[in-house]
Amino acid sequence: MHEVSIALSIMDIIVKKCREESCNKIDSVRLKIGKAAGVMPDALLFAFDNIKTDTIAKDAEMIIDIIPLGGTCNSCKRDFDTEEAYVLECPKCGSADFVINKGNEMEIIDMEVS
Amino acid sequence: MKVKVVTRILEANERLAEENKKRFKEAGLFVINLMGAPGAGKTTLLEKTIQKLKGKAKLGVIEGDIAGSDDAERINAAGVPVVQINTGGACHLDANMISGVLGELPLKDMNMLIIENVGNLVCPAEFKVGENIKAMVLSITEGHDKPLKYPLMFQESKALVLNKIDLVPYTNVDIEKIKKDALSLNPEIKIFEVSCSTGEGIDLWAEWLNGQRSK
Repeated sequence: MHEVSIALSIMDIIVKKCREESCNKIDSVRLKIGKAAGVMPDALLFAFDNIKTDTIAKDAEMIIDIIPLGGTCNSCKRDFDTEEAYVLECPKCGSADFVINKGNEMEIIDMEVS
Repeated sequence: MKVKVVTRILEANERLAEENKKRFKEAGLFVINLMGAPGAGKTTLLEKTIQKLKGKAKLGVIEGDIAGSDDAERINAAGVPVVQINTGGACHLDANMISGVLGELPLKDMNMLIIENVGNLVCPAEFKVGENIKAMVLSITEGHDKPLKYPLMFQESKALVLNKIDLVPYTNVDIEKIKKDALSLNPEIKIFEVSCSTGEGIDLWAEWLNGQRSK
């Protein structure tokens, strides 16, 4: 359940950013969460919905874009995406020599404020 | 109005972790983030490690638990400075909690700090605390399916201590599978087979850990 800590971090960042823009209401926030980031989107949404009451984000909707895990194989030189949360071998040629280059993201992309 | 944010969510924690790291470096401290499930034997391993490193390293310990101070009392009895953090429900330690208690340890008199994280195979691997290395304890009674069920911690750890190997004859655990899966998730992981009950393997682990200090 570290999703609560993550939701609190998100709240800190977006409230600060909203004030910097001289706005006082957050209408939505969009995140990018990688499949291998160790975050359960449903738990994060639930946590956010519960901590947003009494904040300037109380009506805010959280939108989560899930990024699949993907990498490049050093053996067959091909890029791959997978639905799994971890990769033990290249899904295309079976080699264990590959680099993961996406799927660990945990970022706030943008938000709607008014 | 749409506002671009493009901020890593754990950035605040990472910034604090960097500050901790700087502070540790200035104090000449080597820091280990010790993780593992409840009951894996983290505190017992710590007690044994403290005994083995007596006279070799100057240790200090931070104990993280949701509640209670049993672990800190055990470490205190082992004769090294210790401070207990109670997270009050949080499933992991974060950089801010660590920086909050550093003032309570005699950092100047230490050269190694072991942070025993909250017993949990999931969240502790996510949050940096400013450590030099992460290490994990897995007891063989937890089953051989753990590496593939909780990959992140195995990927993040520099060492895996397989504890309670004296119990192998009483279980159907496949140790080779644990080792194989851990190595396929993290080819660099150093694996130690130990028994905190019989003392087997503790020497190798403690020596390795002490050796990491000078790296």
